[in-house]
Amino acid sequence: MSSPAGTEAGPAVPSAAGKRPTAVRREGRAGGGYPRYVAGKLAGAVVSLFAVLVTSFFLFRLIPGDPVKFMTGGRQVSAEQLATYRAEFGLDLPMWQQFTDYCAKALTGDLGTSYQFHAPVVDKITEALPNTLLLTGTAFVLYTALGMFLGTRSAWRHGGLGDRLHTGLALTLYSIPSFWLGLLLIVVLSVGVDPIPGLFPTGGMESGREEGLAQVLDVAHHLVLPVVTLVAVEYGQTLLVTRSALLDEMGSDYLVTARAKGLRDDLVRRRHAVPNALLPTVTLVFVNLGRTVAGVILVETVFSWPGLGGLFYQALSVPDLPLVQGLFFVFAAAVILMNTLADLLYPMLDPRVGR
Amino acid sequence: MSTHHQHRRGRTAPRPWRARLLAALGACALLLASGTVAPSASAEDGDGDGSGGDKVLTVAVAQSVDSLSPFLAVRLVSTSIHRLTYEYLTNYDAEDNHVIPGLATEWKSSPDKLTWTYTIRSDSRWSDGERATAEDAAWTFNTMMTDPGAATANGSFVGNFAKVTAPSPTQLVIRLKKPQATMTALDVPIVPKHVWEKVDDFSEFNNDKDFPVVGNGPFVLTDYKPDSYVRLKANKDFWRGAPKFDELVFRYYKDQDAAVAALRKGEVSFVAGSPSLTPAQADSLKGEENMRVNDAPGRRFYALATNPGARAKDGTKFGNGDPSLLDRRVRNALFKAVDRRAIVDKVFQGHAVEGAGYIPPRFSSYFFEPSAGQELAYDPQQAAELLDEAGYRTGADGKRLGKDGKPLDYRVLCHATDPNDKAVGKYLQEWWGELGISVTLDCLDNVTDPWLAGEYDLAFDGWSVNPDPDFVLSIHTCDALPATPKDTGATDNFICDKEYDALYARQLAEYDAGKRAGIVKQLESRLYDTGYMNVMAYPNAVEAYRTDQIESITTMPSAAGNIYGQDGYWSWWSAVPADSGDSSGGSSSTGTVIGIAAGVVVLAGLVVLFAVRRRATADDRE
Amino acid sequence: MSAETTGTPVEPGGPGPRALARRRRRASAARFWKEYRRHRAGVFGLAALVLFVLVALTAPLTVGSDVDSVTDAPGQPLESPSGRFPLGTDQFGRNLLGLLVWGSRVSLLVGLLAAALSVLIGALIGITAGHFRGWYATVMMRITDWFLVMPTLVLAIVLATVLSRSLGTVVLAIGVTTWPTTARLVRAQTLAVESRPYIERAKALGGGHWHIMSRHVLPNVMPLVLAQTTLIISSAILAEATLAFLGLGDPTVVSWGGLLQDAREAGSVSSGDWWYLVPPGIGIAVVALAFTLCGRAVEAVLNPRLGVSR
Repeated sequence: MSSPAGTEAGPAVPSAAGKRPTAVRREGRAGGGYPRYVAGKLAGAVVSLFAVLVTSFFLFRLIPGDPVKFMTGGRQVSAEQLATYRAEFGLDLPMWQQFTDYCAKALTGDLGTSYQFHAPVVDKITEALPNTLLLTGTAFVLYTALGMFLGTRSAWRHGGLGDRLHTGLALTLYSIPSFWLGLLLIVVLSVGVDPIPGLFPTGGMESGREEGLAQVLDVAHHLVLPVVTLVAVEYGQTLLVTRSALLDEMGSDYLVTARAKGLRDDLVRRRHAVPNALLPTVTLVFVNLGRTVAGVILVETVFSWPGLGGLFYQALSVPDLPLVQGLFFVFAAAVILMNTLADLLYPMLDPRVGR
Repeated sequence: MSTHHQHRRGRTAPRPWRARLLAALGACALLLASGTVAPSASAEDGDGDGSGGDKVLTVAVAQSVDSLSPFLAVRLVSTSIHRLTYEYLTNYDAEDNHVIPGLATEWKSSPDKLTWTYTIRSDSRWSDGERATAEDAAWTFNTMMTDPGAATANGSFVGNFAKVTAPSPTQLVIRLKKPQATMTALDVPIVPKHVWEKVDDFSEFNNDKDFPVVGNGPFVLTDYKPDSYVRLKANKDFWRGAPKFDELVFRYYKDQDAAVAALRKGEVSFVAGSPSLTPAQADSLKGEENMRVNDAPGRRFYALATNPGARAKDGTKFGNGDPSLLDRRVRNALFKAVDRRAIVDKVFQGHAVEGAGYIPPRFSSYFFEPSAGQELAYDPQQAAELLDEAGYRTGADGKRLGKDGKPLDYRVLCHATDPNDKAVGKYLQEWWGELGISVTLDCLDNVTDPWLAGEYDLAFDGWSVNPDPDFVLSIHTCDALPATPKDTGATDNFICDKEYDALYARQLAEYDAGKRAGIVKQLESRLYDTGYMNVMAYPNAVEAYRTDQIESITTMPSAAGNIYGQDGYWSWWSAVPADSGDSSGGSSSTGTVIGIAAGVVVLAGLVVLFAVRRRATADDRE
Repeated sequence: MSAETTGTPVEPGGPGPRALARRRRRASAARFWKEYRRHRAGVFGLAALVLFVLVALTAPLTVGSDVDSVTDAPGQPLESPSGRFPLGTDQFGRNLLGLLVWGSRVSLLVGLLAAALSVLIGALIGITAGHFRGWYATVMMRITDWFLVMPTLVLAIVLATVLSRSLGTVVLAIGVTTWPTTARLVRAQTLAVESRPYIERAKALGGGHWHIMSRHVLPNVMPLVLAQTTLIISSAILAEATLAFLGLGDPTVVSWGGLLQDAREAGSVSSGDWWYLVPPGIGIAVVALAFTLCGRAVEAVLNPRLGVSR
């Protein structure tokens, strides 16, 4: 049986079993051809997105605090003025009407106006999204490549010293809180501990002084530590899953045959075992990408990165309801989209599924 | 389809996979390389700073900008930027805070105090070349009076305005409905009419799309990235004289400790602290070379407010403050069990002054100290006796019981983002625990809601006091209570005391400064006795800057004052760049050399790795 | 999976069915331990756990409950390590080694309780959804899927913000957001168990829903639940540290995550006070790692084909 660790949204525990999403198999078997499979998956995604929209609306109504009173900052305001503000943000309407308004607007791509920034939520999100994508995207490419590379090597020489070292290191790094690792990196590589000089900036995305190529380099310089932190805590999972997928594959008959034919080990590995074993890992890769967008909150906080995570935290403390709702929707939508993409890609990559 | 895929898998898949892996590793190498190259790029600029290039002053701030529109911005970081980019009618002297000319050179009021006439200076120009005139000022005020969206931030200043006109480019006339005390302290940025009249919706216009932003202050806003930085350029034509630095950058750090680390490294020239540096940070920076810690007497008080039973002016009671706190003996007993000395020594570690009266000692003429007999000195023994006397005796388990027979348990409202609140809260738990009273710390990100609803027993409270204390005194009058429970009043913590109100009215009507100060002290004495506002400490404003980047900077007040958050643009306008860019340049070039060396090692390692892999592949081909 | 505990039908005659079952379970436990011992990493993890649990349980004797008292703090603020304070002191002058030991209690407790809550919810929903099928299962699995796509950390942060700051809130926030994995695993296992013929027989003999679920399904999913629990404790401990670090924990209780948050607020990153910053992080990492190692070893014993820690 297979664990859905691969499709899990939360901090998945590296599990050898987490390589094939159950959903794909189940529906793949029952399905009638790829188009129908795709339609089913897309419909499921739309339903999930709607469910998230509903949740994000009602969940955040639970947060104590009157946004209007916060907006006026405790200044002297009359009841009429407060009522005017409430009307302006539609907070005086009955709950169901606020909800239908919210849904209707969301369909047209309008997620409301942020209380604290006086700007459309969509604008605030599109401002911060590229920064988050830059950070997560870079880290994602690196930890996926690193995890797959080391995972393959480990599996091939499993039981050896290198394997035990890599697996042990991956598990250890996986158990380290990312924010703590980030703080340590700042202390050692940014502030500098004698004799190590502080090579990297302590936080932020750019120094705000450079232009042109210098600005690109400046951003890259600021990117190093947060990316290293993310890669360190994330690559372990890819490594372990790749490794166990490959170990599974290596017991297969055709590999024994291939070796019996006298093919070199290295060739067998590269031509046959690796490609087959990596297919299931691909789903994990996509799911990870969706998850990383939400999981980046900590790293963004530690490194003052101007992304969605920091915005979410600021919005939550107000509470800036429209902004919190919008961000929550984006986080959940990222997971849903990536899961769906993985579901759609899986049968294309692995013909055993979805026929 | 199936065969097609099998075919792909069998034959061609390995190569793209391999290529992708190589590409990814290449990207990794590139990243590391760029990481090590970048310091050299910034170091070049650093050298440029020293040799007469652009002199940049970088300030680390902990707040993110809420809006760059003067009509919307309320956060300190944003209003500080508006101070730098727009002139206000008047300004405050850096020496002692008295009102001095800004955009207006002089002002006079009619005998009935209802008409104010300002003379607007003729030598102030907008950064696009147009002259700043009275017409701009009149338009700014009129917009705030007519458009609710434009009244969001500073509407309170114009609520009492009847009519604002500009009879000539140098004359501004404001007619009031009734006399207003703040007419020489209208802290409203005047915006250029010719730019702003094109704005449709003031409630959603954030002034952050077209750069440079047209202004007439000592600096011009040239660039802004949310949660990243705000960049300003010196206005060389500023009428008061050009700033000494060419550029001013406010960099945003979510975490104060990261900002301090950046200061230590020279990435930023100044750290403001929010609201001030921690003792550990200040102490470790003090020992550093080229570092100055500005440990100025603060203008804030740090107090423990008790809920006196929240109520509105119409008499409606609301909230759920503990009834035992309505007994003055209980309030005094609680405060007698608070060791102010320990708070200053342990929590602030000396970067604060022990609390006494309501107004901090920095404002010496208003500073009040209780007499020996009056003082609620630290004395837990007496505190216990007072509580016994008030009828709150300890039960069998050592807990003091309320009048309802239940053990006393006070909810203390604290700010989750303020480490001092949490630290003092821990002390309170132990001190009051000795008295047999439990404390529940109610730490919230945003305390506004329970606060305004009166749903707390005690709360950590603090205000920045202005040179004229009228405002901080006014918030404890009965008049400041909300009209009904639905309104928000100006009141701080619902204090309403007839004796206090009488003294407040007397000081307001007193024109002799010395006599007024005397009445204000009586007022503070009364407040002290009621035990509703217990001042524990006056925290210092602790900030730090690099002396190898900033040679000198004006504090406000100039004798011993703060740098960040002044009522004026003095600090950044006056800051003088240090000549010796060598010291910092030297250290950063060492960093660059080592950085490049490290980068080379990493690259070499990767090359070796690839070479080994290549050879392995070549073996296969044979 | 879990082949060794497959419920072979009770043979008539011989010892009573209860005794037989007990003996069988004892035997399989012994076999399990024998297998487990062969996984060196797992044994190491278990040893580390036993050590930490001992330290936490004996903390009232070794460091005493007044170690977190600020008024009786023995040292000066932020002293560096010395003979008297092996890990230095915090900003109140409290002994950091003592706080570290004391904090292990909260971190372990919250981790265990949160994991217990999570596994309880997961097992309950998993077993019932596997047993009852039909619309109930559909609804339950829909809810599970829905929780699966929710970003866990984001949801936990929201819950911790909505509720008051206390340990209970943290336990709830973690427990409520991490159960779906368990639910899906348990449901799949339940379906597998219930398709076995002896369940048919039990049903035919008049076994009710409760009987089937508690007597036949539960014992068979227990090993799986056990492995899952150890793995979830590991992430729960990390989640507790995360929430405390973000300032969403109970500020009056000493925990490892809370110590890290205090360290950062006091300014130990920029001042380089490593003795404040490093030990709590190591504590979190070692305990999380130990639970993960145990979980993987259990998983490997139950399903040798996976070859996790070979």
